Amino acid sequence: MIDVNNKVNSFFIFNSTFGPREGEELKRILFFHPNQVSVDAQKMQVGLCEAVVKFMTTFSNEPCEALQTQSKRYIFYQPEKNFWMVLVVRIPYAAKTPSTPGESKEVIETSVIYNLLVSAYKMFRMFVGPFKDIPPEDIYTKCEQFFTPYIMSRNIANDLSNIIQGINYLPLEKNSFFRVVCFIDLLEITYPDFKCVSFVYNEQLIWNGLATNDMLTLYQYLVQTLLPKQVEKEIQGGAVTAAVRHGRFISPPEGIRTSEDLKNLPKVYLMREDDTEMKQYYLIIYRTLSATVCFTIDVNNTLDLDTFKSLDAFIGPKLSTIASSISEQCALHALQNAQISSSEHKFLYFNRLNLACKTSTPASLTPSTAVKPEVLSIIAGIHADRKSLGNYGEIIIKTPDEYWITGKSSNDREFYVIIQEKNANLKDIADEVKRVCEEQMKGIFFYPI
Amino acid sequence: MAKFCLKDSEKYYLTLSERPKRFHADSPVTNVFFDDTNGQVFTVRSGGVTGVTVNGMDDSKCTSFRMEDKGPIISIKFSPDHKILAIQRNLEGQNATVEFANFKDLMPTNVEYSHICKWKNAKILGFVWPKANEIAFITDHGIELSQVLPEKKQLKTLKSTSFSAAWFSWCPQSNIILLAGNNGILLQPFSLNNSTITKLQKLEVESSRPVMERDVFVLRVCVVPRGAHSSNMDLSPILQPALDPLSQLPSCSGLESSGPSQLRASFLTVAHLLLRNMPSALALKFLLTDSFLAVWLVPISGGGAVQHVLKTGLVGRFAVSVIDDLVVIHHQSSQTSLIFDIMEDSKPENNTIVHVPIVQGISMRPAVVDEQPCPMYSGNWVVFQPHYVIDARLGCLWRLELNLPGLAHEVPKEEISKIVGVLLRRNNSKDTIYRILNQLVEHAGTYVVELTTCFDEINTVYRRWADLEVARNTAGCPPPARGHFPALISQADMCTHVLHKHTHKLLVQVVTVYLSSLCRCELVVQHAVCELVVRSLVTAGEGARLRALVRRGALQDGRPLACQLLSLGHLDPAAAQLALDMMWRLRAYGEIVEVLLSREEAVCAAGAARQAGVWGSLAARKLLAAAQQHSRPETFLAIYHALRTRNERLRGTPDFLTGHYIISC
Repeated sequence: MIDVNNKVNSFFIFNSTFGPREGEELKRILFFHPNQVSVDAQKMQVGLCEAVVKFMTTFSNEPCEALQTQSKRYIFYQPEKNFWMVLVVRIPYAAKTPSTPGESKEVIETSVIYNLLVSAYKMFRMFVGPFKDIPPEDIYTKCEQFFTPYIMSRNIANDLSNIIQGINYLPLEKNSFFRVVCFIDLLEITYPDFKCVSFVYNEQLIWNGLATNDMLTLYQYLVQTLLPKQVEKEIQGGAVTAAVRHGRFISPPEGIRTSEDLKNLPKVYLMREDDTEMKQYYLIIYRTLSATVCFTIDVNNTLDLDTFKSLDAFIGPKLSTIASSISEQCALHALQNAQISSSEHKFLYFNRLNLACKTSTPASLTPSTAVKPEVLSIIAGIHADRKSLGNYGEIIIKTPDEYWITGKSSNDREFYVIIQEKNANLKDIADEVKRVCEEQMKGIFFYPI
Repeated sequence: MAKFCLKDSEKYYLTLSERPKRFHADSPVTNVFFDDTNGQVFTVRSGGVTGVTVNGMDDSKCTSFRMEDKGPIISIKFSPDHKILAIQRNLEGQNATVEFANFKDLMPTNVEYSHICKWKNAKILGFVWPKANEIAFITDHGIELSQVLPEKKQLKTLKSTSFSAAWFSWCPQSNIILLAGNNGILLQPFSLNNSTITKLQKLEVESSRPVMERDVFVLRVCVVPRGAHSSNMDLSPILQPALDPLSQLPSCSGLESSGPSQLRASFLTVAHLLLRNMPSALALKFLLTDSFLAVWLVPISGGGAVQHVLKTGLVGRFAVSVIDDLVVIHHQSSQTSLIFDIMEDSKPENNTIVHVPIVQGISMRPAVVDEQPCPMYSGNWVVFQPHYVIDARLGCLWRLELNLPGLAHEVPKEEISKIVGVLLRRNNSKDTIYRILNQLVEHAGTYVVELTTCFDEINTVYRRWADLEVARNTAGCPPPARGHFPALISQADMCTHVLHKHTHKLLVQVVTVYLSSLCRCELVVQHAVCELVVRSLVTAGEGARLRALVRRGALQDGRPLACQLLSLGHLDPAAAQLALDMMWRLRAYGEIVEVLLSREEAVCAAGAARQAGVWGSLAARKLLAAAQQHSRPETFLAIYHALRTRNERLRGTPDFLTGHYIISC
């Protein structure tokens, strides 16, 4: 849906209070992407946004959300007072009016882009801190350092799993789960300063020790940024392979071997499950086979290389046995799943309370059956407009090209099914959805209607 | 090495019974005899003329009487029912005679008679009472088993077997007698059960090292049958979680000596032969150095075919006791008593299991007699099986007792679970186990790994018991004998005696470890544990962990659990979400309707009621009241019309019944 290189026109952050006087406009621009845009053009874009935002306050107390022009759509997000993040996307634009009114090709759902801005900000806040806490003289370089790679690496494919930002949990048999939990408990008891905040296997979460929202950000960091790089490294093999088996610290990327490395440990702002406010921690990430464990340690602790060495010796063997037993389980699970005929219909499940997200077979395996962007837009629309379904409800939408989209909401859960079937009637679809729901969401209660 | 020490425990694991039975000490005119079958000391003064006193641990069986002095006594023993007294005297030319006297209420009745063995020239080595009315004479020519008919004052020979014996050893618990022939090279056991004499498998030792009488003991010890016991136990899930362990606790006395029919039981009682020297049959299998100081335990009856080697590391004479199926080796010169548990979990190699003492050997707790410290392990001591100690000089009869907490007095950290395993096989050990566990939980920070293994021990035993109970209650197959489960700790026990007593911050981890152990043993988590888990996790603010456990099915679905989760809903909406799911799986539709009504979700409630089949009886008033609270007025209208349709279908008229008032909007 969003291809940064093609669709994003520009992305910028500004704060009007930074250069209130005339001639200081450039100071207001904390970050501008792409940076090859001339300074004047930057000023013009930011100026327009400033004006719109300001103008809109006349009508509503709510901050302005978006602005659409003939060729562009501006999405505004104000994470902190006076700090505005703006993403500008191009809209397919034809000089002639479209033949059928109301239908435009590839409309990008505002909510998806808005979510992108929110997660960009959250990621920034986790690793750098809130804007207001950064001294004004540093903020330009910090933004530059963080957002340029971030925005360049964002590549949201046209896939069902990208509509909703959720966490993919690993369904695990209870004995294996207990092994994970007991391992974490033992570790935290042995090293009381360290707190395990997440246990991820492949790209699926098993254990979470953070407040749910922070978990999403950390999970996205791991799955979208850190782990792909690691996996690539591991595949390239060489000297790394031996270490893969024993496990190592992967953040900082060189591992922790000298006390110098300790200084490179990333610091993060997080809210742990038992915290009441955001605190700064060191983030330590350890990986064996496909299992990745994240720990936090309070920044006020003095780090000691010996602790890390003993931690390595403690985790390494234990984690690798756990990881291999989980991998056995997963293989078994995959085998069983393969036997159950996979649903021919695509579905998307999302639980608002724990952000669990589950989709039918990942699109990457079967690219030919990729879902049409319009359909995704419709689902994104239903998801964004929570009021339409309320606490519970069901909606069935038919597109002109024989797609039936069903959205269900109940008990803080959402469930979407896409059925492509010609000559079906509403009842057929409702029954089919019911069947898919019972088959895929066994043991989950959807409010009967 | 880190050691665990049970608080308030003393270091001694063996004690002599508190108050010894006193009898008059040896004097020139007094002779003392001990009957190990009844555990009684006979003090015969002046050949019985000035009195015979019988002392035993059972006060009701103690007595004293007078009798005529007909010559020096060799052996004197009551029958097990104390109705007949048998006396063997040392009289010239009258070797093969045993005298009998009938008793009533422990007093002689003056009915006396005697019996002469069938081998006229034989020398009686001794006699034993296998049964109340049966006596066996052991002579150097063989064994003669006779029935005593006290009314007729005569004996009827039941069975006899020839065997040239030099000495014998008797085990009253299993009724097995061992005869040594060929100068102690051939050992031949016989079973005297079922009023007959059965020859058991003989044992030959190296001719260069014949066995002495004092080096052989026949003991009855429980063993784990190797057939039923293997490391990968058959863990089929149990469908009946609520088996009550207390209702049918097997008592130890219920364990009669075993036959092959008991092979399916979890534990077998097997008579063993304890040898100091290695039997030659074994010698080839072992390549042993001289430093390997051990005693051999060879099974002679029952299903156990596995030999046990007890590594003592001690040289010299020793005595043996059996307490609660533990083999105790008393070593005089080092004043130590080593205990071995031959039921411990280990794999036999070459059909032999090597055991080491459970804990490091120490002496018994020093005893006090007449307010004086009593010399321990003195030369005047005689140790009788299974657990009697007599000091002939002091005139004391003690019973040897286990002091279970002493086993946990000083244990290496890694071996705590082994000790718990040992305790689980002992009688009256629950309190000690609770004490150990409580101490471990209290210091959970140090002992979390040990707790895991201890819980595993306990739950494995429970699982084994539950499997056996299921097998017993399953129709169609022959019920296996009841196993040996002296200490069975149920989930409820664990909650009341251990987990409920603690409130510290690591309780969450402890509870998790316990749950994981239950899951490993595939035991259904019972409600008591569920409740505790929910409470401890919620108080510790570990809602996420609780939800994760419920999601992964570690806490089984159940209405009480669902209600608990539901009540947490105001703090943690996700818990309520799970609760509704759980009710759905449990088909608790009625509850779901109520929950939805309380959330003012009238439309859903109506839908749920329809699915549950209670739509027809759903109170209109409740539904409409809920609908009225809803933010959308259409809801009320929709519900109202739905109810009217319902009424029409049910009763033919859309009107509401009296009492089903409609509240105006």
